[in-house]
Amino acid sequence: MTAEQHSRPSEEEVLLAFSVEPTHDRKTLEQYLREYPEHAKALVACSIELMVDATRSDDVAVTSEGAVDRAWQRFQTVVSQPGDVLVTNPFATLNPTAFRSLAKRLDITNLLLVRLRDRAIVAATIPGRFVQGLATELGATAEAVMDYLQSPPAMVSGHSFRSVVKPAVTEQISFAEAIEKSQLTPAQQDALKALQD
Amino acid sequence: MPEPLKRKKKDGTSYERPPEIEAWLKKLESVEAAERLRQFATLSRKSLGHVPSEALVYFLRRAWADGMQGDFEKIFRILMNRIEQSLCSVISDSRMAGARGIREEIMDRFVERIAKDCKGRTGLLDFYEIRFDKAFAAFRTSALRQIGPSVVDTVPLGTDEDDVLEISAEVEAAAADFLGGEPEKLDDPAFRLELTAAIDCLPEDQKQVVGLLLQGFQIDSKDKDVMTIARILQCDERTVRNRRDRACKALKAILQKENAQ
Repeated sequence: MTAEQHSRPSEEEVLLAFSVEPTHDRKTLEQYLREYPEHAKALVACSIELMVDATRSDDVAVTSEGAVDRAWQRFQTVVSQPGDVLVTNPFATLNPTAFRSLAKRLDITNLLLVRLRDRAIVAATIPGRFVQGLATELGATAEAVMDYLQSPPAMVSGHSFRSVVKPAVTEQISFAEAIEKSQLTPAQQDALKALQD
Repeated sequence: MPEPLKRKKKDGTSYERPPEIEAWLKKLESVEAAERLRQFATLSRKSLGHVPSEALVYFLRRAWADGMQGDFEKIFRILMNRIEQSLCSVISDSRMAGARGIREEIMDRFVERIAKDCKGRTGLLDFYEIRFDKAFAAFRTSALRQIGPSVVDTVPLGTDEDDVLEISAEVEAAAADFLGGEPEKLDDPAFRLELTAAIDCLPEDQKQVVGLLLQGFQIDSKDKDVMTIARILQCDERTVRNRRDRACKALKAILQKENAQ
């Protein structure tokens, strides 16, 4: 992966940088839209949210009981995870519809996306340009997605194993092999193979 | 002296906190830790002595770095309480289906950012020491785009299917009346505030168009270098006009209703 691919900031980073700008007028938004066209929709949504947010008052809001305790417990769990690197699953929050929609946007089959999510593909064989595209769609950095893909394959989620067969850790295959075995059309296969060059 | 921020801008210079936040930090550094914690606990923004959340983030990070676990937990809980209050206001149960789950997910994600920061991983919390509310609104926007419902419950005002169809003369007249009739009304800060609050009630597609119009973008242009609403939203200019007109009709109804109350 090239330095340039790594250096493209995630949607969250771009929106945060935009949010702390001294003004959020047309000029500022236009500058960000030109600089980060891949995050155009998010920037527009953010600019309007910032405009509307200023008119809201949160003094009257009724809060959920136990939310703070829950947050503290969550913090303790996350911060005590072993290792220096916290790897988060960027697919974790996708519901089935969002998952299918992501596959469609990437022009790949659900099966290939499942293999990626379950880390059933050797990360080193996945083209950098593909990881970058996946990261952009997931709203994450290419680095964070690569961290996840590089972590050991595991039994990641319950919905992967609704069978009477005992679940097992998936054996990893190469990206090239995954292209062959993921019910992709010849055109989709060619597009993915081109990324490997 | 408060520690400077580490995060760099694209031009290589460091981000800086606004002078008023720096002043708060200097003031709070000069008082005892127990007194500081007492001051942090003031929840209402309207209360005298309400400490800005930017300062809470600064002292939260400092407590972790100094190994002051008790202080860290106390500040963490105060900050989370504020965040929960803000989330309950924006993502209220009456406004969004599954609001509680969405609020919990956003809070979980923010907690993960704090945990990562504690491990010295991202430095993303620097943004929250500059303009907390704005940064959190950006964070929330990004999270909602990924996990939020596709449609926020609002007044039904039409669907995408009829976006490119001709709209009725009635809607067109409402739009002309709203923005065309008295454009100078937009210069009135009170009206603009009222209008901005009303925009919050619109469906997302109409909100985008009106929001961009208010920011000064034009709908369409023959000049390819001009960034127009149609180009930003990647849709036909007729679609933009129709969304605008429907939005104006809805806004007029909302504002009339509010003024009648």
